[in-house]
Amino acid sequence: MAQPALDAFQVIADPSRRQMLYLLAESSLTINSLAENFDMSRPAVSKHVKILYGAGFISIQDIGRERHCSLKQDGFNALQEWINYFDKFWINKLKKLEHLLNQKNKQ
Amino acid sequence: MQKIINHKVFFSQTPEEVWAYLTRPELVELWLMKTDIQPTEGHQFQFWTRPMPNFDFDGNAYCTVLEVVPFQKLSYSCKGGPGDGRITLDSVVVWTLLKKDNGTELELVHSGFKEVENMLMYNIMNEGWLKNMNKIGELIKAS
Repeated sequence: MAQPALDAFQVIADPSRRQMLYLLAESSLTINSLAENFDMSRPAVSKHVKILYGAGFISIQDIGRERHCSLKQDGFNALQEWINYFDKFWINKLKKLEHLLNQKNKQ
Repeated sequence: MQKIINHKVFFSQTPEEVWAYLTRPELVELWLMKTDIQPTEGHQFQFWTRPMPNFDFDGNAYCTVLEVVPFQKLSYSCKGGPGDGRITLDSVVVWTLLKKDNGTELELVHSGFKEVENMLMYNIMNEGWLKNMNKIGELIKAS
């Protein structure tokens, strides 16, 4: 059965997946060596890897017989966009407050 | 790259006047969002705004007042999500008012985005992805 695509927030909401990203931030790893760090079945690790791949957090490359995972920027960009959204939100709101208070002064 | 949202604005009004615009619902609504905020520590309140499905947010922010120092400091936690019980926004807003040059300097810090900041920090500070790309490149060459 196909995995439903998860968004960036759902992806990082899972502690195991966060741990995988932290490990991959240190160095790229094969799926097998990644799995050694977790107390879960190999299919369970593969499922998480698929989710990370689907949301653009990692790329997977087949080299020889091994599948190598490494971090990819796209997933992280989605998170940054979110922070940027809030930054713009506050800039606009504070301008509105400034305008309100300036008008109050003129009264 | 910005990890925490931080803005400073100067107003020619007194801290007391600016404070009112942060703590009185009918004034907050004029520039920010509809709310039932009260400047009392532990008070639970909400902000109501339009839903933002792209950001997994249904438009309802559930907040708790954390700290109140009248006319000087106000902080509250803000949580929200897509409306199915999941929390995607888990943050803290801190307002600081400083009497200065016949007016008030208002500082806003919006931080603590659960895990999001940590993730971004890890990714950016380690530049792990760049290092890894190089390593993968070497592996490919070697194979």
